[in-house]
Amino acid sequence: MADEQDHRIEGKITRAQFPLPDVTWPATAEFWAGAARDELVIPRCDGCGRFRWYPKPECPACAAEPYSWVPVSGRGTLFSWVVVTHPFLPQFADLVPFVPALVALDEDPGVRLPTRMVDCDPDALAFDLPVTVTFRPIAFAGVDGSVPAPMFVPA
Amino acid sequence: MTTEPGSWGYASDFDDITGQVAICGVGDSDMSKASGRTTQQIVGQAVERALDDAGLEPRDVDGLMYVGMPEQFDVAAFHEHFGTDHDIWESRRGGGMTGAATAPYYAAEALRTGRARYVLNTFGVAWATQRGEMTGGPGETHAQDLFKQNLEIPFGWFPQPVYFATIARRHMHEFGTTEEQLGAIAVACRRHANLNPAAVMHEKPLTLERYLASPKFVDPFRKEDCCLISDGGGAYIMTTPERAADAPKRPAIVAGVGLGHASTGTHWAQQPAFTSTPAVFSAPAAFRMAGVTPADVDLFTCYDPFTIVTLMQIEDSGFCEKGAGGEFVAGDTLHYDTGTLAHNTHGGMLSHAYVLGISHVVEVVRQLRGEGTAQVADCEIGVYGGYTGPQCSTLVLRRG
Repeated sequence: MADEQDHRIEGKITRAQFPLPDVTWPATAEFWAGAARDELVIPRCDGCGRFRWYPKPECPACAAEPYSWVPVSGRGTLFSWVVVTHPFLPQFADLVPFVPALVALDEDPGVRLPTRMVDCDPDALAFDLPVTVTFRPIAFAGVDGSVPAPMFVPA
Repeated sequence: MTTEPGSWGYASDFDDITGQVAICGVGDSDMSKASGRTTQQIVGQAVERALDDAGLEPRDVDGLMYVGMPEQFDVAAFHEHFGTDHDIWESRRGGGMTGAATAPYYAAEALRTGRARYVLNTFGVAWATQRGEMTGGPGETHAQDLFKQNLEIPFGWFPQPVYFATIARRHMHEFGTTEEQLGAIAVACRRHANLNPAAVMHEKPLTLERYLASPKFVDPFRKEDCCLISDGGGAYIMTTPERAADAPKRPAIVAGVGLGHASTGTHWAQQPAFTSTPAVFSAPAAFRMAGVTPADVDLFTCYDPFTIVTLMQIEDSGFCEKGAGGEFVAGDTLHYDTGTLAHNTHGGMLSHAYVLGISHVVEVVRQLRGEGTAQVADCEIGVYGGYTGPQCSTLVLRRG
């Protein structure tokens, strides 16, 4: 029983590339490696065949540990989105306005990808709108480098 | 698109502690924007006031509860503040958020076994003062999560206003909830704050028209949909109902406690019941223990980081059907005098202060005594709903 509360504030983020992803972090390295070759890959449990998103060490459905990264179509539907006009981090200053979104994958709508809608009129977005992946660099003001990432456009 | 309870979370299996714990004293600190005070100074002030309220001396406190966050008021801080050195039972299963509701559950055993006679629960923050040092302000705790760092934040899905605006938009789609309905929650809390001299937003009125005219900074949210960032804290003192009968003030009796969990934690994007909270697990358990139904409740306070979180907790706690929350809160339903479900009568985190729920419990006790600044008529049963995301808790208090 998880009675101890989970609201520790352990310290500042010291990684200089924050809020770029750490493409070397083992749990998600394959995700970013896939994006670098224009491929959307999602972990699938070797035990039960279900997608395991996020890639936790143990499958919440069958408790198996091993999983494999498999390519998916990159098609999905728009589950929800917001239009951000206030930069919550200084690194987001050059980004606003932008449209963070959750996309439900066609292969399993229970898998919701946090992503960004691009090349679209925010007023024309709609729930369950068919969308398709496009790979775009993530970059932030004052942060060196950029990382190709799966973003989405209306299909 | 709701998910069957049980498939995405569960309730803690709590023993029945109804009638075993009473709250005999409450206090809160001055509430403010950045004050330059430390958390311990803030909580120390709240504790002094709670002791006065209970008619107790510092050395009477032999139990202390808080939550495992930095700078909380632990035994060392207590002794430093009051110049005492006596033996004190200590537990980290208290504090604000969900702990403000569940602390009495864990205090019950200490009181029953005689390990402690008077158990103090406290919480405080100096987040308005510390804001500039934190990544995304109170988003700091989320920024530490490596899955968020690598799968959410790079896309700009961060911090809390973005998460909950995403949930609000989906709730609007699934159930037809409107901006006017979310606004009704903000307006009710503000009206209560306008009546409460201790509220940070005491002098700032808010009408629905003004709410709707306010710009959306994370569409569909306006700043009025979001809680304040504050310096402040609170405290309450628990004992047995027998000892509480001798206290100067009328006690509040703990009638029911529940704790619900969501298996997806703070990864809200992956929560199957995206537009629900674990109050669907905690509330029925607490009401069952208390032997009351939502219809018996005179005052519902809840942890209100965003208007949509209030709306979902009202639904999930059973005050209306799931999805009917928007219609339910519209108009003056939540107002202390003309409404049918008085809500956050001190102003809540939206308009009183962002002290993470501890002041909600303080307020419920005051209301049960008839000491509210927006006093609910004949307030007999008061509820606090705690929330962290991964957990919801429900505390049912009745007038002693």
